[in-house]
Amino acid sequence: MALLTGKPSARRQGFELAMMSPALLLLALITLVPFFSIIWMSFNDVSLMGGLTFEFSGLDNWQRVFTDPDIRSSWLISLFYFLATVGLEMVLGTVMALLVYSLTRGSNIIISLLLILMFIAPVIVGLLGRFMLDPSHGLYAWLLNETGLFDGNILGSVGPAMVAVILMDVWEWTPLVALIVLAGLASVPEDILEAAEMDGAKYGQKLLYIILPSISNILLVALLIRAMDAIRFFAIIFITTNGGPADSTKIIPIRLYDIAFRFFDLGYAAAVGITMLAFSILVANAFMKLLKRQEKRS
Amino acid sequence: MTAPKRWVSLTVKIVLLTLLLLWTLVPIVWMVLSSFKPNSVITANTPRVFFTPTLEHYASLFSGGNSLWPYLMNSLLIAGVSTLIAVVLGCMAGFGLSRIRIKGKQHLAFWIISTRMAPIAAVIVPLYLLFRYLYLLDTHVGLIVAYLSFNLPFAIWLMTAFFDDLPPDLEEAAMIDGATKFQAFRYVVLPLMTPGLVTTAILCFIFAWNDYAFAQTFSGPSTQTIPIAAAQLLTQTGIDWGKLLAIGTIVVCPMAIAGLLVKRWLVQGLTMGAVK
Repeated sequence: MALLTGKPSARRQGFELAMMSPALLLLALITLVPFFSIIWMSFNDVSLMGGLTFEFSGLDNWQRVFTDPDIRSSWLISLFYFLATVGLEMVLGTVMALLVYSLTRGSNIIISLLLILMFIAPVIVGLLGRFMLDPSHGLYAWLLNETGLFDGNILGSVGPAMVAVILMDVWEWTPLVALIVLAGLASVPEDILEAAEMDGAKYGQKLLYIILPSISNILLVALLIRAMDAIRFFAIIFITTNGGPADSTKIIPIRLYDIAFRFFDLGYAAAVGITMLAFSILVANAFMKLLKRQEKRS
Repeated sequence: MTAPKRWVSLTVKIVLLTLLLLWTLVPIVWMVLSSFKPNSVITANTPRVFFTPTLEHYASLFSGGNSLWPYLMNSLLIAGVSTLIAVVLGCMAGFGLSRIRIKGKQHLAFWIISTRMAPIAAVIVPLYLLFRYLYLLDTHVGLIVAYLSFNLPFAIWLMTAFFDDLPPDLEEAAMIDGATKFQAFRYVVLPLMTPGLVTTAILCFIFAWNDYAFAQTFSGPSTQTIPIAAAQLLTQTGIDWGKLLAIGTIVVCPMAIAGLLVKRWLVQGLTMGAVK
């Protein structure tokens, strides 16, 4: 082919470029314009009070981002929320996958049942959580009350509210981790497992020395996918506690939303938003590196 | 393994499995079940499993002053159009990106995926300002653009992964037989891409359908979607749980069914092609 069409050039790849350009132009338009806007906004005092006003304010917003104790505490709460949800999802998801993997029958139907959770709108997860935990007629609130474990308004108490919003996220997203891990388990070498069993290896040993090492890459993929979504979405907390009680569940996106649309301080919100963007770019970077490594291996 | 040991492991397995299924299914089953309960049963002090089912909550959703129809139509229109644009453009770009050999392709790919990963709260702030300047608040176009900001990179990325799985030999063979690149794409590659297109479309639709934060910020009286209708039932004076659970059921059930249709490609889809 090369002989017929000359050396590889832009002309030869014209078709590919033409196919890519509409999507890339549109994507550039709808992402780069907001991107430069948010940067510009972060150096301005943008107020929505009494009409939109723009006033250059230099590094004021940035100084606030790094000195505001509310922002610091929100980042700490985010970090805790983040580690708790993603950590629990990884551990429980792996256990779930190993359990389903060990079944000889019925694993297909169980996977389907687990999958349903991932299609539920997060806002509905939050509303359903509120329903289950409603102090006067929620099923879970009633169960906790009857068993003497907790009596009162769960979403209205510092501590239990955090546990509740964490468990709602874990409830919805653990099956995704399980599904990813299950895909990885298919690549565990059967013959080595059988050989280990012949040699009298216990389940724990097989898990530690054969199964987990061979799915380590896929566990990382699951971790990154969950990590980026954990910072991306905030609808569950938005609709259940909206950061309360006493700011105890005010993760950084909720704080940002408050700054922007309750106090109408869009410039400051922009600066906070950029710090969140920086975080997600770090995660995206790790994801890309991992993908490259996988491509090399295969 | 000896017999008693096998019994132990079997019992452990059954117990774990039961717990797993209860934990997973009880809230969903309870939601659907309760949406058919009369109010007196929902608000009873003790939970009740047996009751005379009623359709009153569903009926009240579609009648009277604040009907669910406009919300449903807005959701279908906005999610549908943004999905259509994302899939068509994403399919073309995915093919191009999969086959092209240029320097800096990795950087291009990184830029695409990083737009998909941008936190929604951070994207909302500049979009709100821009939409205000462009008079796009409370318009269908505004929400379609907002959803494209995450569905377009997702569709490009996922379609690229699907095209990567298809060896280029097929197109090359067609081109040796005299087909142009476009013909090879249109008549050889595209027919093989049905699973990829359907998976991408269904996932894009679900992401848009399920969104709450964008809709809450950018929509107004004439563009509110179903998740907004659900949230509006949370009022200071009390919550109409019956109606709320009926909406929840309407939001969830069609997406669960659609999602299960593409179960085979779901891992690939939800990990954006990182896991096959």
